[in-house]
Amino acid sequence: MANILIVEDDKDLNNAYRMILENEGYTVQSAYDGKEALKKLESFNPQLILLDLLMPIMGGLEFLQHYDLVNKHADVKVLIFTNMENSPEVTEAYKLGAHRCIIKSWTAPHNLSKVISDTLSKSSVTA
Amino acid sequence: MTHKTANYSGSETENYGQQAAAEALFDSIGDGAIATDEFGKITQVNRVALKILGYKEADLIGKWFPKQIISLTEDGIPVNLIDRPITRAFLTGLPIREKMYYRRKDGVIVPVSVSVSPILLGGKPIGAIEVFRDITREQEIDRMKSEFISLASHQLRTPLSAIKTYSHMLVDGYMGDITPAQKKSLRTIISATNRMNELISTLLNITRIESGTIAVTPKLLQMNKTVEEVIRELALMAADKSINLTLAPVKADADVSLKTDNLILKEILTNLISNAIKYTPEEGSVTVSIKPRSRDIQVTVTDTGWGIPKYAQDQIFSKFFRAHNIVKRETTGTGLGLYLVKGLLDRLGGKIWFESEEGKGTSFSFSLPRSRPGEKTPKPPL
Repeated sequence: MANILIVEDDKDLNNAYRMILENEGYTVQSAYDGKEALKKLESFNPQLILLDLLMPIMGGLEFLQHYDLVNKHADVKVLIFTNMENSPEVTEAYKLGAHRCIIKSWTAPHNLSKVISDTLSKSSVTA
Repeated sequence: MTHKTANYSGSETENYGQQAAAEALFDSIGDGAIATDEFGKITQVNRVALKILGYKEADLIGKWFPKQIISLTEDGIPVNLIDRPITRAFLTGLPIREKMYYRRKDGVIVPVSVSVSPILLGGKPIGAIEVFRDITREQEIDRMKSEFISLASHQLRTPLSAIKTYSHMLVDGYMGDITPAQKKSLRTIISATNRMNELISTLLNITRIESGTIAVTPKLLQMNKTVEEVIRELALMAADKSINLTLAPVKADADVSLKTDNLILKEILTNLISNAIKYTPEEGSVTVSIKPRSRDIQVTVTDTGWGIPKYAQDQIFSKFFRAHNIVKRETTGTGLGLYLVKGLLDRLGGKIWFESEEGKGTSFSFSLPRSRPGEKTPKPPL
């Protein structure tokens, strides 16, 4: 099963997603802001990153700029997980290489698992 | 004053006094004020107007108002002569109020709130008076208010997401088995959080529309790309009801480009498509089709839902209106969605209409101009 990094500042939500994804058999690590995520990525190689946008210290967009998804990590899928639907930040995240945006408040756990498995299976086909 | 009046006769002195008093009154108006003759030539300017516009009196007196004082739209495009408030006031004989931008003498753009009234004598305009004020500070406060509402909405949703996620986890058995009664209670919690989320979203947008703070940033875009993006975001909502949500094929060589605000367009599409999903029974279908026309692009969202009863069809764009057949089946709506969509389309210069038959379904269509007045129609992509 794939490795997943959850980058979400809300501890309750981060724990919930972790529990859901570990239950599906993924290897999951958590970070609570973009800076911590970059540090984790020095030793953890995920196939998918679940990324919140509005976070303290370093937000999701700044993280994407530093991580350079387009040029350096084109094989890693980034799912934006936010409540800022239809916002300029989401459009910007797409420009920075994000694969898909999911609205937290609309998404039930089983749907989250489905989107993740679909995304990962597509990436393994194209790889 | 006594020296000046010494050369006037009694009635002339009286006239002079009245004229001086009128000029003093004009000059003392706390907002900018400019008076013109019937041809639009500037006859009088007060101190506040000179301060706001950065001109000296000699720069303006005797000059043609529309040429000397340049007014711009929100997008920085010069307002056509026919659309200038002063022209409209002359043509209609009615007072005109508007927010626009003036270019100062030094080139700086100032947002202003303008009110122009024709001066009528025997029913004929003999001039006009424009009163305007600098609304830079008001706009800044509106922007801050809008940012605050946006941030507050986001922060309100975060705990709601946690409530919803954990409730779902309990229902789905992540924490072990629960009784049917417990499951039912949890589903009520989930449904309530969904309603709260929708309310936050709608109220946020209505606040923006009604306060006039919704910013329009037109950019060249492809309608099919935006529709596809919204369909992707709503795919899970449709899947939950086993509803087939699709975009009807668009011809490969069709020109679906237009210049409009992508975020507002997404909001319109999100509302119409999510409404169609919400008001369509399970296993139904929702189809979005795009029809490019010469001056505009038409989008239609067709569902196989419960439809809108005839009696309600005149009222569906009214605030808080909900048809009885829908209230019986779907108790969670606010009656604000279509009111919001109509407001957003007005803002983009678009139109909306619908066809519906109760029990069979509804088609909502809207059209958006390929470009806004004053802009050239975008060329199709190469």
